[in-house]
Amino acid sequence: MPLVELKGVSKRFGKVVASSNIDLRIEDGEYVTILGPSGCGKTTLIRMIAGILEPSEGQVLIGGRDMDGVPIEERDIGYVFQNIALFPHLNVLENVSYGPIAKDAGQEEQRTVPAQYLGLVNLLDRMKMFPSALSGGEQQKVALARALASGARILLLDEPLSALDARVRMDLRYELRRITKDLGLTVLHVTHDQEEAMTVSDRIVLMRRGRIVESNTPEMMYRAPKELFTANFIGETNLLDGVVVASGDERTLVELRDGSVMGAQPGRFEPGDAVVISVRPECVRVADDGLSAVVRSMSFMGTYIRITAEAESEDILGFDVRVPRGRDFNIGDHVHLGWSMESALVYPRPPGGIAEAVKLE
Amino acid sequence: MGSGDGLLEFVSGKGFRKGWTTFNIAFFLFFIILPTVFILTYAVTDWSEIRDHVLNDPATMDLIIGAVVVSFEIAAIVTVIDFMAGLPLAWMMARKEFRGKQFLDTLIDMPLAVPTAALGFSAAIFWAATPNPPPFSLAVISSPMVLVILLHVVFSYPYMVRSLTAILGGIDETYETAGRTLGASRLTAVRTITLPLFRAGLVTGAILCFARSLSETGGTIIALATLYGRRMVEGDFHTGPTLIGLWKDASVSDASLLPALSFVSILLILLALVLLLVLKLVIMRVRLPMRKVWPTPEKLLSRGLFPKLKDSSALLFLFLMVLVPSFFIFTYVLTGTPSQADWGPFADALVTSFVIASVVTLIDLVMGIPLALYIAKNRSGKLAQLLDVLVNVPLIVPTAALGFSLGLFWSNFDPNASVPMVLIILAHIAFTYPLVVRNVVGAVEGIDPAFEETARTLGATPLQSFRRVLFPMIKSSILAGAIMAFTRSLGETGATLAVVASANTAPVYIVNLVNQQSYYLAAMACIVLIIISYMFMLLLRRFTREEVV
Amino acid sequence: MPSVTLRGIVKRYSDVTAADGFELTVNDREYLCLLGPTGAGKTTALRVIAGLTVPDEGTVLFDGKDVTSLEPEKRNAVLLSQTYSLFPTMTVADNVLFGPDIRKVSEGDKEQMLVSLLDLVRLTSRAESYPRELSGGMQQRCALARAIATSPDVLLLDEPLRALDARLRIDLRRELKSLARTLGLTVVHVTHDQDEALMMADRIAVMRAGRIVQVGTPEEVFNEPASPFVANFVGQSNFFTGTVVCSGPDGAMVEDHLGRRVKARPTDVPEGQKAVLAIKVGHTHILKREAASLHGRIERMLFEGRVVHVDVDVEGVGRFSSKVPLSYHGRYRVGDEVGIGWNRNKAKIFPYPEGGLQNELRVD
Repeated sequence: MPLVELKGVSKRFGKVVASSNIDLRIEDGEYVTILGPSGCGKTTLIRMIAGILEPSEGQVLIGGRDMDGVPIEERDIGYVFQNIALFPHLNVLENVSYGPIAKDAGQEEQRTVPAQYLGLVNLLDRMKMFPSALSGGEQQKVALARALASGARILLLDEPLSALDARVRMDLRYELRRITKDLGLTVLHVTHDQEEAMTVSDRIVLMRRGRIVESNTPEMMYRAPKELFTANFIGETNLLDGVVVASGDERTLVELRDGSVMGAQPGRFEPGDAVVISVRPECVRVADDGLSAVVRSMSFMGTYIRITAEAESEDILGFDVRVPRGRDFNIGDHVHLGWSMESALVYPRPPGGIAEAVKLE
Repeated sequence: MGSGDGLLEFVSGKGFRKGWTTFNIAFFLFFIILPTVFILTYAVTDWSEIRDHVLNDPATMDLIIGAVVVSFEIAAIVTVIDFMAGLPLAWMMARKEFRGKQFLDTLIDMPLAVPTAALGFSAAIFWAATPNPPPFSLAVISSPMVLVILLHVVFSYPYMVRSLTAILGGIDETYETAGRTLGASRLTAVRTITLPLFRAGLVTGAILCFARSLSETGGTIIALATLYGRRMVEGDFHTGPTLIGLWKDASVSDASLLPALSFVSILLILLALVLLLVLKLVIMRVRLPMRKVWPTPEKLLSRGLFPKLKDSSALLFLFLMVLVPSFFIFTYVLTGTPSQADWGPFADALVTSFVIASVVTLIDLVMGIPLALYIAKNRSGKLAQLLDVLVNVPLIVPTAALGFSLGLFWSNFDPNASVPMVLIILAHIAFTYPLVVRNVVGAVEGIDPAFEETARTLGATPLQSFRRVLFPMIKSSILAGAIMAFTRSLGETGATLAVVASANTAPVYIVNLVNQQSYYLAAMACIVLIIISYMFMLLLRRFTREEVV
Repeated sequence: MPSVTLRGIVKRYSDVTAADGFELTVNDREYLCLLGPTGAGKTTALRVIAGLTVPDEGTVLFDGKDVTSLEPEKRNAVLLSQTYSLFPTMTVADNVLFGPDIRKVSEGDKEQMLVSLLDLVRLTSRAESYPRELSGGMQQRCALARAIATSPDVLLLDEPLRALDARLRIDLRRELKSLARTLGLTVVHVTHDQDEALMMADRIAVMRAGRIVQVGTPEEVFNEPASPFVANFVGQSNFFTGTVVCSGPDGAMVEDHLGRRVKARPTDVPEGQKAVLAIKVGHTHILKREAASLHGRIERMLFEGRVVHVDVDVEGVGRFSSKVPLSYHGRYRVGDEVGIGWNRNKAKIFPYPEGGLQNELRVD
């Protein structure tokens, strides 16, 4: 029995549809990330699970029980808010103790449990301080300890790292996963940062405009995304318009706008079908022949250089070279680009065009 | 280029701005603060008079102490009642969405639109057990103290609810939700999280409520006069302000009452300021029980019938104790016996009131907005902080005492009070000016300074940045303050009477009618005044609703 | 002639020193990123340039002229705040034309300007919309158009992309950079995100605790960090603590208390001194256990899309990280014994920081 289940859940605010017919199953112990651009309905989703919002249609089940009519405080979930929400009038220890106190746990428990979780996030020495004296990262750790101390088995994290500096985010990411895995908790982590999602999750649920687009492990979402939106949203990719020339079991041949014919993974296509090729920058190589393009810009990315080139078809492609090789290129150079067939995926061309299909806002 | 630009350059210059700010502050201190507290100097200058005629006269002392104590008792009781009845309503307004919320919003503010004189009369004929009670009235109250309490509850109610709503609105509901996700029932979360965060706001609400009751003169006089069926005399039940009103009236012919008058005023002012300071300190220090949690009973109270009961009683209270008494006067007109009336003098009085209110509001705006801007933008400066506190003083001082003090102050410059109108205007400015300033300060503080800063870097001078960027964003708050000032001036009775006993404004006219027992005429006059005030209130709502930010 | 120069800027508030005496030069048409953790003083620096904050000490020069006490409206240094501050009571068109309006530009010129600017930021269809009706990305572009409309001498961007989704940020970085280049703007761009700085800047100035700790091109700051802090903040680094041994013109080594030695490029730090070696995570490789002087067990592997981040628990040292391309992924498993190595020219030796390494690397 899945620990958390949503069946046909929809949520409307007046005329605005925030969530549309969501079916979702989370198993016990899973770390699931709900990923998507702003406004896709991800926060609405976990709020319905928490009980902060009631669904307009459908059922929310926790532990097999229908949560209709069950108030927030009885759902046994822990929630970490985007903007932290530590009680400003209580010090760190009192904040973390709130859960056990509110549940009227025994004296013993009230004393030991908070200290235990504060120790877990390495902030025991901040016990007596007030939230305003802590940094953003520290506040978020206290919020985590507080949610954990309430004893909940399910943890809902609402963009817990979005308000933090890039560097602090990176450090805290690993901590979140490590601690929750050690405790054997089930986690639903909402974020708009695909890099974050890939690093921490067992499974990613990608949402767009109130619907679930695709759900899979991070690796599968990256290597073999089933939807064009996924291919573009997770990681970076080059998208090229084309028409199928030949389709077989081993490969698909696609003619691009400038006439060059490139290979890609096999799929169920017929010659003449309008398609889109997706190939990631790290898979594009400079070759002797292939797609002809002109170097437009070069960016230093630290351990590699990202080169942007414009093909005759006016497609813009990005590809990467190791830093020392960067000297071999200049803006305006003509290059030929190619890729291995396995690294290029083919999708049917969306009726409204590529831009519309991958649009974020 | 040209002289116009030259003028603009000059006005934008640092020197001019400093000069203008200094002028504003000076105006505030000299025309508003100084006259308001002037009476306090009498404790020093006329000490011997006061000692002989008042402190050594047991009868007078009894009268004074009694009245002052009663005023404070009433204010305290009213504050508590208004808090308990107002909190559930403020909660509904701040946290919940429901049909008819806008309508409820308007209803809560209604008592503000009714001039104090009219409201005093209306509430009195509803509640008071008079010899010939009009139909539909309850007419059960014969105790003057209870009547005054019931009346003050109505006056102070909007202040309490508005303050509480504003504060609650400012506390992020996320804190409460966070508490609930940790397992606390709604009631527990409110009690342990929201209420402590709420404290500072609670103080403001309580102070405004308390001060309003302490300060209330005109309506109280009329209510008591209605109850007794005649003018008030010394032997009657008195609050501090009604005593001032009585003696001010009588002092026109009997100057020996002046020391007594001064003493009451001084006492009221000092005690009010002291008590409010104490209140602020106490509320901020009290530690609400947090460790103690009673999950089971609090859970029960959080759900099911209890919240609904709480909300309906709050609404019932609003209706029965606040709205009906305020507007009862309308039924009186329908059921009362008409009498011949000469509307001429009333029309004159009405025009006078309007002229005064307009002039007052204009001056408030011109002098108040710059001061508000100064306070809001110099938050860290000592002077600005001091001014921020001082601005509230005229609101706290009882209007009768204020009027009296003001009258005394200006009589030093103009012993014959040759132009009473000017005096009345000055008095009205004193207690309406803070309304404008507080509104504008609140509005400006809510605006991110980044807007104006961005405008400056885009090339706008401070003046241009105010005119093009800040002003449009606070326009509706300015308007709200202006309309509040206008209606307050229109309805003010006590201060008017206290500063110039023979004043001829509309509310004073009504007071005289009541004293003469021309109840029907008084009622008609009240209604006219109410309708006009109410139209202005509607204007206020329209403009504040258009707030874009 | 450099466009903006800051000298000896000091600014203290009651409880914190926002600027602790720093120098900065921004060249004409340069895109300079001011990079550092929150609280480093970057926004203060920006405000000092704009004239919104007057420094306690120091001078601000625009093209050689002292403008330290000049009012903001006279400086032509436009600030774009983190929240964009679009005037809510004005339409997009009115917002964009705010600057030209103040300068009394003619109606005809204003029309033209509006059309070309809106076209540049792709908001032509939204000219009559109000800010609250726009999405985050659109608001940012509108604020940009407004800032550019005045042809500023220097454009000051305060974390302009922070409020946007991660994905949008990446797309808008390119747009912003190309816009600046096309218009030949001088830009000072504040950020806490090193990826952003590396991608966008002609030069990066790294700030910390009110001081500028290093200024250089992205390559310089990445490959030649001036301190362990910079080495870790701009691109994560691994650190190895020990004593300098075998220092020569070809390179040097650091030896730890267990006798292990690791290689680095030539260094000025004297032999026998306590030192720390820094090597970028991206410059290390996973090798066979026998092939490296440092080895340990893989304790964690984190999927990052194009690469997999590998954490190796090296005995006596702690965590050493590396990245392997996705294609290598199947070769390693958690628990494997592996070695970590690197090209010696990529590693740099620093004197061991006073106050300890932990303290030096703190970001908050």
